Amino acid sequence: MLSLFALAGAMSQFNQGLTLFLSLLVEATPFLLLGVAFSSLLAILVDERKLVALTPKNPVLAAIAGSLFGCLFPVCECGNVPVARRLLMQGAPSALAIGFLLAAPTVNPIVFWATWVAFRDQPSMVFWRVGLTILISVIIACVFSVQKDLRPFLQPAIARQLLPPEPEPALATATSDSPLLTRGTYLLQSTGPVKLDQPLAMDMAVLPSATWTVKAQAVLEMMLQEFRELGAVLVMGSAIAATVQVAIPREWILALGQGPITSILAMMLLAWVVSICSTVDSFFALSFASIFTSGSILAFLVFGPMIDLKNISLLLTTFKSRAVIYLFVLAAQLTFVFTLAVNLYTSW
Amino acid sequence: MKRTFPWPIAFDALALLLWGLMILRYWWTGRLAVLLHPDYHWLAIGAGWLLLLMALWRGAALLWSPKSLNTPHIALLPRRWSLAVLLAVAVFGIIYIPRPFTSDTALARGIAEPVALTRSQPRRFARNTPPEERSLIDWIRLLNVYPEPDAYTDEPVNITGFVIHPPNWPDDYLLAARFVLTCCAADAYPVGLPVQLSGDRGEFAPDSWVNITGTMMTDTVDGQRRLVIQPQDVLPVPEPKNPYEF
Repeated sequence: MLSLFALAGAMSQFNQGLTLFLSLLVEATPFLLLGVAFSSLLAILVDERKLVALTPKNPVLAAIAGSLFGCLFPVCECGNVPVARRLLMQGAPSALAIGFLLAAPTVNPIVFWATWVAFRDQPSMVFWRVGLTILISVIIACVFSVQKDLRPFLQPAIARQLLPPEPEPALATATSDSPLLTRGTYLLQSTGPVKLDQPLAMDMAVLPSATWTVKAQAVLEMMLQEFRELGAVLVMGSAIAATVQVAIPREWILALGQGPITSILAMMLLAWVVSICSTVDSFFALSFASIFTSGSILAFLVFGPMIDLKNISLLLTTFKSRAVIYLFVLAAQLTFVFTLAVNLYTSW
Repeated sequence: MKRTFPWPIAFDALALLLWGLMILRYWWTGRLAVLLHPDYHWLAIGAGWLLLLMALWRGAALLWSPKSLNTPHIALLPRRWSLAVLLAVAVFGIIYIPRPFTSDTALARGIAEPVALTRSQPRRFARNTPPEERSLIDWIRLLNVYPEPDAYTDEPVNITGFVIHPPNWPDDYLLAARFVLTCCAADAYPVGLPVQLSGDRGEFAPDSWVNITGTMMTDTVDGQRRLVIQPQDVLPVPEPKNPYEF
Protein backbone atom coordinates (compact mmCIF):
# COMPACT_ATOMS: atom_id res chain seq x y z
CA MET A 1 0.00 0.00 0.00
CA LEU A 2 2.74 2.38 1.01
CA SER A 3 4.71 1.57 -2.10
CA LEU A 4 1.59 2.24 -4.18
CA PHE A 5 1.40 5.72 -2.68
CA ALA A 6 5.08 6.23 -3.30
CA LEU A 7 4.59 5.13 -6.90
CA ALA A 8 1.63 7.47 -7.36
CA GLY A 9 3.68 10.32 -5.91
CA ALA A 10 6.60 9.54 -8.18
CA MET A 11 4.27 9.38 -11.20
CA SER A 12 2.74 12.72 -10.35
CA GLN A 13 6.20 14.25 -9.96
CA PHE A 14 7.23 12.71 -13.25
CA ASN A 15 4.19 14.15 -15.00
CA GLN A 16 4.87 17.53 -13.44
CA GLY A 17 8.44 17.42 -14.70
CA LEU A 18 7.28 16.53 -18.20
CA THR A 19 4.69 19.30 -18.29
CA LEU A 20 7.37 21.76 -17.19
CA PHE A 21 9.79 20.45 -19.77
CA LEU A 22 7.31 20.66 -22.64
CA SER A 23 6.06 24.05 -21.60
CA LEU A 24 9.61 25.43 -21.63
CA LEU A 25 10.19 23.91 -25.06
CA VAL A 26 6.97 25.15 -26.61
CA GLU A 27 7.39 28.66 -25.19
CA ALA A 28 11.03 28.93 -26.21
CA THR A 29 10.83 27.47 -29.73
CA PRO A 30 9.34 30.58 -31.40
CA PHE A 31 12.06 32.77 -29.92
CA LEU A 32 14.77 30.34 -30.90
CA LEU A 33 13.44 30.31 -34.48
CA LEU A 34 13.31 34.11 -34.56
CA GLY A 35 16.85 34.29 -33.23
CA VAL A 36 18.29 31.91 -35.78
CA ALA A 37 16.30 33.56 -38.58
CA PHE A 38 17.67 36.99 -37.76
CA SER A 39 21.22 35.88 -37.25
CA SER A 40 21.19 33.97 -40.54
CA LEU A 41 19.67 36.87 -42.43
CA LEU A 42 22.21 39.31 -41.07
CA ALA A 43 25.14 37.03 -41.71
CA ILE A 44 24.13 37.13 -45.34
CA LEU A 45 23.16 40.77 -45.65
CA VAL A 46 25.47 42.80 -43.41
CA ASP A 47 29.12 43.26 -44.17
CA GLU A 48 30.82 44.16 -40.92
CA ARG A 49 33.82 45.76 -42.64
CA LYS A 50 31.69 48.82 -43.31
CA LEU A 51 30.82 49.06 -39.64
CA VAL A 52 34.45 48.78 -38.58
CA ALA A 53 35.28 51.73 -40.78
CA LEU A 54 32.69 53.84 -38.99
CA THR A 55 33.65 53.09 -35.39
CA PRO A 56 35.26 55.69 -33.13
CA LYS A 57 38.89 55.27 -32.12
CA ASN A 58 38.44 56.31 -28.48
CA PRO A 59 38.45 53.03 -26.48
CA VAL A 60 35.46 53.90 -24.28
CA LEU A 61 33.36 55.00 -27.22
CA ALA A 62 34.48 51.98 -29.21
CA ALA A 63 33.53 49.73 -26.30
CA ILE A 64 30.08 51.29 -26.12
CA ALA A 65 29.69 51.04 -29.89
CA GLY A 66 30.76 47.40 -29.78
CA SER A 67 28.30 46.51 -27.06
CA LEU A 68 25.47 48.15 -29.00
CA PHE A 69 26.41 46.35 -32.22
CA GLY A 70 24.29 43.50 -30.96
CA CYS A 71 21.22 45.37 -32.11
CA LEU A 72 22.52 45.00 -35.66
CA PHE A 73 23.71 41.43 -35.26
CA PRO A 74 21.11 39.68 -33.15
CA VAL A 75 23.16 36.57 -32.71
CA CYS A 76 23.31 34.42 -29.68
CA GLU A 77 26.54 33.38 -28.09
CA CYS A 78 27.36 30.82 -30.74
CA GLY A 79 27.17 33.32 -33.54
CA ASN A 80 29.01 36.15 -31.88
CA VAL A 81 32.46 34.58 -31.55
CA PRO A 82 32.97 34.25 -35.31
CA VAL A 83 31.70 37.81 -35.81
CA ALA A 84 33.97 39.20 -33.06
CA ARG A 85 36.82 37.33 -34.63
CA ARG A 86 36.13 38.78 -38.04
CA LEU A 87 35.94 42.24 -36.46
CA LEU A 88 39.42 41.73 -34.99
CA MET A 89 40.79 40.45 -38.29
CA GLN A 90 39.48 43.51 -40.05
CA GLY A 91 41.42 45.79 -37.78
CA ALA A 92 38.67 46.79 -35.37
CA PRO A 93 39.93 48.22 -32.05
CA SER A 94 40.08 45.54 -29.38
CA ALA A 95 37.58 47.46 -27.25
CA LEU A 96 35.03 47.19 -30.04
CA ALA A 97 35.53 43.46 -30.55
CA ILE A 98 35.48 42.61 -26.83
CA GLY A 99 32.48 44.84 -26.18
CA PHE A 100 30.66 43.11 -28.99
CA LEU A 101 31.74 39.66 -27.88
CA LEU A 102 30.30 40.09 -24.40
CA ALA A 103 27.21 42.19 -25.02
CA ALA A 104 25.88 41.07 -28.41
CA PRO A 105 24.05 37.95 -27.21
CA THR A 106 21.99 40.02 -24.74
CA VAL A 107 21.72 43.48 -26.31
CA ASN A 108 19.43 42.62 -29.16
CA PRO A 109 15.74 43.07 -29.90
CA ILE A 110 14.77 39.40 -29.75
CA VAL A 111 16.30 38.94 -26.32
CA PHE A 112 14.53 42.11 -25.10
CA TRP A 113 11.23 40.70 -26.25
CA ALA A 114 11.77 37.21 -24.86
CA THR A 115 12.84 38.60 -21.49
CA TRP A 116 9.85 40.90 -21.42
CA VAL A 117 7.48 38.03 -22.22
CA ALA A 118 8.99 35.87 -19.51
CA PHE A 119 9.12 38.54 -16.83
CA ARG A 120 5.91 40.36 -17.57
CA ASP A 121 5.35 40.78 -13.86
CA GLN A 122 8.78 42.33 -13.38
CA PRO A 123 9.38 44.48 -16.46
CA SER A 124 12.36 46.09 -14.76
CA MET A 125 14.20 42.79 -15.26
CA VAL A 126 14.60 43.68 -18.95
CA PHE A 127 16.22 47.04 -18.20
CA TRP A 128 18.44 45.70 -15.45
CA ARG A 129 19.57 42.89 -17.69
CA VAL A 130 20.46 45.06 -20.65
CA GLY A 131 21.90 47.89 -18.59
CA LEU A 132 24.11 45.67 -16.50
CA THR A 133 25.30 43.72 -19.54
CA ILE A 134 26.34 46.91 -21.30
CA LEU A 135 28.05 48.23 -18.17
CA ILE A 136 30.05 45.04 -17.59
CA SER A 137 30.95 44.68 -21.28
CA VAL A 138 32.17 48.26 -21.50
CA ILE A 139 34.27 47.87 -18.35
CA ILE A 140 35.92 44.67 -19.58
CA ALA A 141 36.40 46.11 -23.07
CA CYS A 142 38.15 49.14 -21.56
CA VAL A 143 40.37 46.86 -19.49
CA PHE A 144 41.37 44.97 -22.61
CA SER A 145 41.91 48.15 -24.61
CA VAL A 146 44.81 49.02 -22.29
CA GLN A 147 46.62 46.21 -24.06
CA LYS A 148 47.22 48.06 -27.31
CA ASP A 149 48.59 45.04 -29.08
CA LEU A 150 46.15 42.17 -28.65
CA ARG A 151 48.34 39.66 -30.46
CA PRO A 152 49.77 37.97 -27.36
CA PHE A 153 46.20 37.16 -26.32
CA LEU A 154 45.19 35.63 -29.61
CA GLN A 155 45.78 32.20 -31.02
CA PRO A 156 49.03 32.27 -33.05
CA ALA A 157 47.28 31.69 -36.34
CA ILE A 158 45.18 34.80 -35.90
CA ALA A 159 47.97 36.88 -34.38
CA ARG A 160 50.07 36.19 -37.48
CA GLN A 161 47.28 37.46 -39.66
CA LEU A 162 47.13 40.69 -37.73
CA LEU A 163 50.79 41.43 -38.44
CA PRO A 164 50.48 43.09 -41.82
CA PRO A 165 48.94 46.48 -41.17
CA GLU A 166 47.22 46.69 -44.53
CA PRO A 167 43.77 45.13 -44.84
CA GLU A 168 43.39 41.67 -46.28
CA PRO A 169 43.24 41.42 -50.07
CA ALA A 170 39.64 40.48 -49.78
CA LEU A 171 38.66 39.32 -53.21
CA ALA A 172 41.72 37.21 -53.70
CA THR A 173 40.81 34.92 -50.82
CA ALA A 174 37.17 34.84 -51.69
CA THR A 175 37.53 33.86 -55.27
CA SER A 176 40.44 31.46 -55.05
CA ASP A 177 39.01 28.07 -55.74
CA SER A 178 41.63 25.84 -54.21
CA PRO A 179 40.92 25.38 -50.51
CA LEU A 180 44.56 24.38 -50.00
CA LEU A 181 45.97 27.66 -51.12
CA THR A 182 43.78 30.14 -49.26
CA ARG A 183 45.05 31.90 -46.22
CA GLY A 184 43.07 31.95 -43.00
CA THR A 185 41.92 29.82 -40.14
CA TYR A 186 39.73 26.85 -40.61
CA LEU A 187 37.80 24.72 -38.24
CA LEU A 188 37.63 21.17 -39.41
CA GLN A 189 34.06 20.00 -39.56
CA SER A 190 32.40 16.89 -40.82
CA THR A 191 30.94 18.99 -43.62
CA GLY A 192 34.38 20.18 -44.70
CA PRO A 193 36.64 22.96 -43.46
CA VAL A 194 34.90 26.12 -42.34
CA LYS A 195 36.69 29.36 -42.84
CA LEU A 196 36.22 31.40 -39.72
CA ASP A 197 37.17 34.92 -40.57
CA GLN A 198 35.42 35.74 -43.75
CA PRO A 199 32.10 37.56 -43.75
CA LEU A 200 29.50 35.58 -45.60
CA ALA A 201 28.16 38.79 -47.04
CA MET A 202 31.48 39.11 -48.83
CA ASP A 203 30.99 35.73 -50.46
CA MET A 204 27.62 36.89 -51.59
CA ALA A 205 28.91 40.11 -53.04
CA VAL A 206 31.60 38.27 -54.94
CA LEU A 207 29.50 35.51 -56.35
CA PRO A 208 27.82 36.79 -59.48
CA SER A 209 25.29 34.01 -59.29
CA ALA A 210 24.13 34.99 -55.81
CA THR A 211 20.55 35.58 -56.80
CA TRP A 212 17.73 35.94 -54.32
CA THR A 213 16.88 32.28 -54.49
CA VAL A 214 20.45 31.30 -53.70
CA LYS A 215 20.54 33.78 -50.85
CA ALA A 216 17.25 32.54 -49.47
CA GLN A 217 18.55 29.02 -49.77
CA ALA A 218 21.66 29.99 -47.80
CA VAL A 219 19.58 31.70 -45.09
CA LEU A 220 17.38 28.64 -44.70
CA GLU A 221 20.41 26.39 -44.64
CA MET A 222 21.98 28.41 -41.83
CA MET A 223 18.70 28.59 -39.93
CA LEU A 224 18.42 24.84 -40.08
CA GLN A 225 21.99 24.31 -38.94
CA GLU A 226 21.58 26.63 -35.99
CA PHE A 227 18.14 25.34 -35.09
CA ARG A 228 19.37 21.77 -35.11
CA GLU A 229 22.19 22.54 -32.75
CA LEU A 230 20.64 25.16 -30.48
CA GLY A 231 17.42 23.16 -30.38
CA ALA A 232 19.34 20.23 -28.97
CA VAL A 233 20.97 22.49 -26.36
CA LEU A 234 17.53 23.91 -25.54
CA VAL A 235 16.15 20.41 -25.03
CA MET A 236 18.94 19.56 -22.62
CA GLY A 237 18.61 22.87 -20.79
CA SER A 238 14.86 22.43 -20.39
CA ALA A 239 15.38 18.90 -19.14
CA ILE A 240 17.85 20.15 -16.53
CA ALA A 241 15.50 22.95 -15.43
CA ALA A 242 12.57 20.56 -15.10
CA THR A 243 14.64 17.98 -13.22
CA VAL A 244 16.01 20.52 -10.77
CA GLN A 245 12.48 21.78 -10.11
CA VAL A 246 11.02 18.37 -9.51
CA ALA A 247 13.75 16.17 -8.14
CA ILE A 248 15.66 18.38 -5.72
CA PRO A 249 13.92 18.79 -2.35
CA ARG A 250 12.25 22.15 -2.04
CA GLU A 251 13.92 22.92 1.29
CA TRP A 252 17.37 22.73 -0.31
CA ILE A 253 16.43 25.01 -3.15
CA LEU A 254 14.75 27.42 -0.75
CA ALA A 255 17.82 27.50 1.50
CA LEU A 256 20.08 28.12 -1.47
CA GLY A 257 17.78 30.52 -3.27
CA GLN A 258 17.03 32.88 -0.42
CA GLY A 259 20.60 33.69 0.61
CA PRO A 260 21.80 36.86 -1.12
CA ILE A 261 25.23 35.36 -1.85
CA THR A 262 24.51 31.65 -2.25
CA SER A 263 21.65 32.33 -4.65
CA ILE A 264 23.88 34.38 -6.97
CA LEU A 265 26.67 31.79 -6.92
CA ALA A 266 24.21 28.98 -7.58
CA MET A 267 22.56 30.74 -10.51
CA MET A 268 25.90 31.72 -12.04
CA LEU A 269 27.12 28.15 -11.83
CA LEU A 270 23.86 26.99 -13.38
CA ALA A 271 24.19 29.55 -16.19
CA TRP A 272 27.70 28.37 -16.89
CA VAL A 273 26.79 24.68 -16.98
CA VAL A 274 23.44 24.85 -18.76
CA SER A 275 24.78 27.02 -21.62
CA ILE A 276 21.29 27.75 -22.86
CA CYS A 277 20.90 30.15 -25.78
CA SER A 278 20.34 33.78 -24.81
CA THR A 279 17.10 34.11 -26.75
CA VAL A 280 15.48 31.49 -24.55
CA ASP A 281 17.36 31.62 -21.27
CA SER A 282 14.80 33.94 -19.68
CA PHE A 283 12.24 31.14 -19.77
CA PHE A 284 14.68 28.87 -18.06
CA ALA A 285 15.34 31.51 -15.39
CA LEU A 286 11.63 32.09 -14.99
CA SER A 287 11.15 28.66 -13.50
CA PHE A 288 13.45 29.71 -10.65
CA ALA A 289 12.14 33.25 -10.26
CA SER A 290 9.67 32.51 -7.48
CA ILE A 291 12.30 30.99 -5.21
CA PHE A 292 15.57 32.68 -6.05
CA THR A 293 16.47 36.29 -5.26
CA SER A 294 15.98 38.80 -8.08
CA GLY A 295 19.71 39.57 -8.05
CA SER A 296 20.55 35.93 -8.69
CA ILE A 297 18.10 35.68 -11.60
CA LEU A 298 19.74 38.80 -12.99
CA ALA A 299 23.17 37.21 -12.52
CA PHE A 300 21.98 34.21 -14.53
CA LEU A 301 20.66 36.40 -17.33
CA VAL A 302 23.76 38.60 -17.48
CA PHE A 303 26.53 36.08 -16.98
CA GLY A 304 25.17 33.13 -18.98
CA PRO A 305 25.25 34.78 -22.40
CA MET A 306 28.76 36.16 -21.82
CA ILE A 307 30.63 33.01 -20.97
CA ASP A 308 29.44 29.47 -20.54
CA LEU A 309 30.64 25.95 -20.96
CA LYS A 310 29.43 25.85 -24.54
CA ASN A 311 31.14 28.96 -25.83
CA ILE A 312 34.47 28.47 -24.07
CA SER A 313 35.43 26.03 -26.80
CA LEU A 314 34.47 28.66 -29.34
CA LEU A 315 36.43 31.39 -27.56
CA LEU A 316 39.47 29.14 -27.60
CA THR A 317 39.40 29.12 -31.39
CA THR A 318 40.25 32.82 -31.23
CA PHE A 319 41.84 33.63 -27.90
CA LYS A 320 44.62 31.97 -25.96
CA SER A 321 43.50 30.25 -22.80
CA ARG A 322 45.06 33.02 -20.69
CA ALA A 323 42.80 35.62 -22.31
CA VAL A 324 39.75 33.38 -21.95
CA ILE A 325 40.53 33.03 -18.24
CA TYR A 326 40.82 36.83 -17.90
CA LEU A 327 37.51 37.28 -19.66
CA PHE A 328 35.86 34.63 -17.54
CA VAL A 329 37.20 35.91 -14.21
CA LEU A 330 36.43 39.55 -14.97
CA ALA A 331 32.91 38.79 -16.18
CA ALA A 332 32.20 36.52 -13.21
CA GLN A 333 33.52 38.97 -10.64
CA LEU A 334 31.73 41.99 -12.07
CA THR A 335 28.45 40.10 -12.41
CA PHE A 336 28.77 38.88 -8.84
CA VAL A 337 29.57 42.29 -7.38
CA PHE A 338 26.84 44.16 -9.25
CA THR A 339 24.10 41.63 -8.66
CA LEU A 340 25.06 41.35 -5.01
CA ALA A 341 24.65 45.13 -4.80
CA VAL A 342 21.22 44.70 -6.40
CA ASN A 343 20.31 42.11 -3.79
CA LEU A 344 21.60 44.11 -0.84
CA TYR A 345 20.84 47.71 -1.73
CA THR A 346 17.66 47.60 -3.78
CA SER A 347 14.31 46.38 -2.63
CA TRP A 348 13.61 45.08 -6.10
CA MET B 1 24.49 8.19 -62.52
CA LYS B 2 23.47 6.39 -59.37
CA ARG B 3 22.62 8.63 -56.48
CA THR B 4 22.64 7.42 -52.91
CA PHE B 5 19.62 8.37 -50.88
CA PRO B 6 20.37 11.59 -48.96
CA TRP B 7 19.61 10.36 -45.46
CA PRO B 8 20.85 13.48 -43.63
CA ILE B 9 18.42 15.64 -45.58
CA ALA B 10 15.57 13.21 -44.95
CA PHE B 11 16.26 13.21 -41.22
CA ASP B 12 16.41 17.02 -41.15
CA ALA B 13 13.03 17.20 -42.85
CA LEU B 14 11.59 14.58 -40.53
CA ALA B 15 12.83 16.37 -37.39
CA LEU B 16 11.39 19.70 -38.54
CA LEU B 17 8.11 18.05 -39.50
CA LEU B 18 7.72 16.28 -36.17
CA TRP B 19 8.57 19.39 -34.14
CA GLY B 20 6.01 21.38 -36.06
CA LEU B 21 3.41 18.66 -35.64
CA MET B 22 4.15 18.34 -31.93
CA ILE B 23 3.40 22.02 -31.32
CA LEU B 24 0.40 22.12 -33.64
CA ARG B 25 -1.03 18.97 -32.08
CA TYR B 26 -1.08 20.65 -28.67
CA TRP B 27 -3.03 23.44 -30.29
CA TRP B 28 -5.48 21.15 -32.11
CA THR B 29 -6.15 19.07 -29.01
CA GLY B 30 -6.47 22.12 -26.75
CA ARG B 31 -3.50 21.07 -24.61
CA LEU B 32 -1.59 24.25 -25.38
CA ALA B 33 -3.56 25.85 -22.55
CA VAL B 34 -1.90 23.44 -20.13
CA LEU B 35 1.54 24.63 -21.20
CA LEU B 36 1.26 28.33 -22.03
CA HIS B 37 -0.49 31.55 -21.11
CA PRO B 38 -3.17 32.22 -23.77
CA ASP B 39 -1.45 35.49 -24.74
CA TYR B 40 1.42 33.51 -26.23
CA HIS B 41 -0.46 30.74 -28.00
CA TRP B 42 -0.14 32.56 -31.32
CA LEU B 43 3.65 32.57 -31.01
CA ALA B 44 3.82 28.84 -30.52
CA ILE B 45 1.28 28.18 -33.30
CA GLY B 46 3.25 30.42 -35.66
CA ALA B 47 6.43 28.56 -34.81
CA GLY B 48 4.66 25.26 -35.51
CA TRP B 49 3.62 26.39 -38.99
CA LEU B 50 7.06 27.81 -39.68
CA LEU B 51 8.64 24.48 -38.78
CA LEU B 52 6.26 22.69 -41.15
CA LEU B 53 7.21 25.10 -43.94
CA MET B 54 10.89 24.52 -43.26
CA ALA B 55 10.23 20.78 -43.35
CA LEU B 56 8.60 21.20 -46.77
CA TRP B 57 11.57 23.19 -48.01
CA ARG B 58 14.00 20.61 -46.69
CA GLY B 59 11.90 17.80 -48.08
CA ALA B 60 11.93 19.45 -51.50
CA ALA B 61 15.70 19.08 -51.52
CA LEU B 62 15.14 15.31 -51.58
CA LEU B 63 13.57 15.61 -55.02
CA TRP B 64 15.98 18.00 -56.62
CA SER B 65 19.20 19.28 -55.15
CA PRO B 66 19.32 23.05 -55.45
CA LYS B 67 22.46 25.04 -55.92
CA SER B 68 23.61 26.17 -52.50
CA LEU B 69 26.46 28.04 -50.94
CA ASN B 70 28.69 26.46 -48.40
CA THR B 71 27.47 28.30 -45.35
CA PRO B 72 30.07 28.41 -42.61
CA HIS B 73 28.91 26.99 -39.34
CA ILE B 74 30.75 25.90 -36.28
CA ALA B 75 29.12 22.84 -34.86
CA LEU B 76 29.59 22.10 -31.21
CA LEU B 77 27.62 18.92 -31.09
CA PRO B 78 27.99 16.29 -33.73
CA ARG B 79 25.13 16.70 -36.17
CA ARG B 80 23.83 13.19 -35.52
CA TRP B 81 23.55 13.81 -31.81
CA SER B 82 21.55 16.97 -32.15
CA LEU B 83 19.31 15.35 -34.72
CA ALA B 84 18.78 12.34 -32.49
CA VAL B 85 17.87 14.56 -29.54
CA LEU B 86 15.43 16.61 -31.60
CA LEU B 87 13.79 13.56 -33.15
CA ALA B 88 13.48 11.73 -29.84
CA VAL B 89 11.86 14.70 -28.12
CA ALA B 90 9.46 15.33 -31.00
CA VAL B 91 8.32 11.70 -31.10
CA PHE B 92 7.83 11.72 -27.35
CA GLY B 93 6.04 15.08 -27.44
CA ILE B 94 3.62 13.80 -30.06
CA ILE B 95 2.73 10.74 -28.01
CA TYR B 96 2.62 12.25 -24.54
CA ILE B 97 -0.36 14.25 -23.34
CA PRO B 98 0.73 16.98 -20.95
CA ARG B 99 -1.30 17.17 -17.77
CA PRO B 100 -1.93 20.18 -15.60
CA PHE B 101 -0.19 20.32 -12.25
CA THR B 102 -1.81 18.46 -9.40
CA SER B 103 -2.37 18.82 -5.68
CA ASP B 104 0.97 17.12 -4.93
CA THR B 105 2.75 19.87 -6.80
CA ALA B 106 0.75 22.54 -5.04
CA LEU B 107 1.56 21.04 -1.63
CA ALA B 108 5.23 20.71 -2.56
CA ARG B 109 5.22 24.37 -3.45
CA GLY B 110 3.94 25.31 -0.02
CA ILE B 111 0.35 26.22 -0.83
CA ALA B 112 -0.95 25.34 2.65
CA GLU B 113 1.05 28.17 4.26
CA PRO B 114 -0.98 31.37 4.25
CA VAL B 115 2.14 33.53 3.87
CA ALA B 116 2.78 32.09 0.44
CA LEU B 117 0.07 34.06 -1.27
CA THR B 118 1.34 35.48 -4.52
CA ARG B 119 4.45 37.19 -5.68
CA SER B 120 2.90 39.15 -8.48
CA GLN B 121 1.54 42.62 -8.14
CA PRO B 122 -2.21 42.77 -8.64
CA ARG B 123 -2.83 43.79 -12.19
CA ARG B 124 -6.45 44.56 -11.63
CA PHE B 125 -7.96 45.53 -8.37
CA ALA B 126 -10.93 43.36 -7.65
CA ARG B 127 -12.48 45.35 -4.81
CA ASN B 128 -14.86 46.90 -7.30
CA THR B 129 -16.07 43.56 -8.61
CA PRO B 130 -19.08 42.20 -6.75
CA PRO B 131 -17.84 39.46 -4.36
CA GLU B 132 -19.82 36.67 -6.01
CA GLU B 133 -18.12 37.40 -9.34
CA ARG B 134 -14.56 37.27 -7.99
CA SER B 135 -12.46 34.35 -9.14
CA LEU B 136 -10.14 32.52 -6.80
CA ILE B 137 -7.16 34.60 -7.89
CA ASP B 138 -9.20 37.81 -7.43
CA TRP B 139 -9.80 36.83 -3.82
CA ILE B 140 -6.12 36.08 -3.27
CA ARG B 141 -5.05 39.38 -4.79
CA LEU B 142 -7.53 41.18 -2.59
CA LEU B 143 -6.16 39.38 0.46
CA ASN B 144 -2.67 40.42 -0.59
CA VAL B 145 -3.65 44.05 -0.53
CA TYR B 146 -5.83 43.85 2.55
CA PRO B 147 -5.16 40.67 4.51
CA GLU B 148 -7.59 41.02 7.43
CA PRO B 149 -10.05 38.12 7.04
CA ASP B 150 -12.79 39.80 9.12
CA ALA B 151 -13.16 42.43 6.39
CA TYR B 152 -14.82 39.87 4.15
CA THR B 153 -17.16 38.16 6.62
CA ASP B 154 -20.51 37.12 5.11
CA GLU B 155 -19.55 38.17 1.58
CA PRO B 156 -20.95 35.75 -0.99
CA VAL B 157 -18.43 33.60 -2.85
CA ASN B 158 -18.60 31.51 -6.02
CA ILE B 159 -15.37 29.95 -7.21
CA THR B 160 -14.08 26.94 -9.13
CA GLY B 161 -10.91 25.08 -8.25
CA PHE B 162 -9.39 21.68 -7.69
CA VAL B 163 -9.38 19.85 -4.38
CA ILE B 164 -6.32 19.57 -2.16
CA HIS B 165 -6.23 17.67 1.13
CA PRO B 166 -3.48 19.35 3.17
CA PRO B 167 -2.13 16.59 5.44
CA ASN B 168 -2.12 18.62 8.69
CA TRP B 169 -5.64 19.93 8.37
CA PRO B 170 -8.70 18.41 10.08
CA ASP B 171 -10.83 16.03 8.01
CA ASP B 172 -13.63 18.52 7.40
CA TYR B 173 -11.32 21.02 5.71
CA LEU B 174 -10.11 21.05 2.16
CA LEU B 175 -8.33 23.60 0.03
CA ALA B 176 -9.86 24.81 -3.24
CA ALA B 177 -6.92 25.72 -5.42
CA ARG B 178 -5.77 26.85 -8.82
CA PHE B 179 -2.45 27.47 -10.47
CA VAL B 180 -1.69 30.98 -11.66
CA LEU B 181 0.33 31.55 -14.80
CA THR B 182 2.09 34.63 -16.11
CA CYS B 183 3.98 33.12 -19.02
CA CYS B 184 4.13 29.35 -19.16
CA ALA B 185 3.82 26.36 -16.85
CA ALA B 186 7.38 27.00 -15.68
CA ASP B 187 6.24 29.91 -13.57
CA ALA B 188 2.95 28.44 -12.37
CA TYR B 189 2.32 28.96 -8.69
CA PRO B 190 -0.61 27.67 -6.67
CA VAL B 191 -3.16 29.75 -4.77
CA GLY B 192 -6.05 28.45 -2.70
CA LEU B 193 -8.73 29.14 -0.11
CA PRO B 194 -9.71 26.79 2.74
CA VAL B 195 -13.23 25.35 2.68
CA GLN B 196 -14.96 24.10 5.82
CA LEU B 197 -17.17 21.19 4.88
CA SER B 198 -20.13 19.91 6.84
CA GLY B 199 -19.01 16.32 6.26
CA ASP B 200 -15.77 14.50 5.59
CA ARG B 201 -13.46 15.71 2.81
CA GLY B 202 -13.09 12.14 1.58
CA GLU B 203 -16.23 12.78 -0.44
CA PHE B 204 -14.15 14.99 -2.75
CA ALA B 205 -11.07 13.26 -4.11
CA PRO B 206 -7.85 15.24 -4.39
CA ASP B 207 -7.41 16.82 -7.85
CA SER B 208 -11.11 16.60 -8.66
CA TRP B 209 -12.66 19.90 -9.72
CA VAL B 210 -15.43 21.56 -7.73
CA ASN B 211 -17.57 24.65 -7.92
CA ILE B 212 -18.16 26.16 -4.49
CA THR B 213 -20.84 28.66 -3.56
CA GLY B 214 -21.21 29.99 -0.04
CA THR B 215 -20.14 32.80 2.23
CA MET B 216 -16.87 33.93 3.74
CA MET B 217 -15.98 33.63 7.40
CA THR B 218 -12.88 33.72 9.59
CA ASP B 219 -11.60 30.56 11.20
CA THR B 220 -8.43 29.11 12.68
CA VAL B 221 -6.92 26.40 10.48
CA ASP B 222 -3.72 24.64 11.50
CA GLY B 223 -3.04 27.36 14.08
CA GLN B 224 -3.51 30.25 11.63
CA ARG B 225 -6.36 32.75 11.49
CA ARG B 226 -7.58 32.64 7.91
CA LEU B 227 -10.33 33.55 5.54
CA VAL B 228 -12.41 30.40 5.07
CA ILE B 229 -15.31 29.54 2.76
CA GLN B 230 -18.43 28.20 4.41
CA PRO B 231 -20.11 26.45 1.50
CA GLN B 232 -23.79 26.08 0.78
CA ASP B 233 -23.04 23.93 -2.23
CA VAL B 234 -20.01 22.01 -3.38
CA LEU B 235 -20.65 20.66 -6.88
CA PRO B 236 -18.27 18.40 -8.79
CA VAL B 237 -17.51 19.95 -12.20
CA PRO B 238 -15.39 18.77 -15.16
CA GLU B 239 -11.85 20.10 -15.49
CA PRO B 240 -12.09 23.52 -17.16
CA LYS B 241 -10.67 23.89 -20.64
CA ASN B 242 -8.07 26.21 -19.24
CA PRO B 243 -7.04 24.87 -15.83
CA TYR B 244 -5.01 27.94 -14.91
CA GLU B 245 -5.99 31.46 -13.88
CA PHE B 246 -4.25 34.66 -14.77
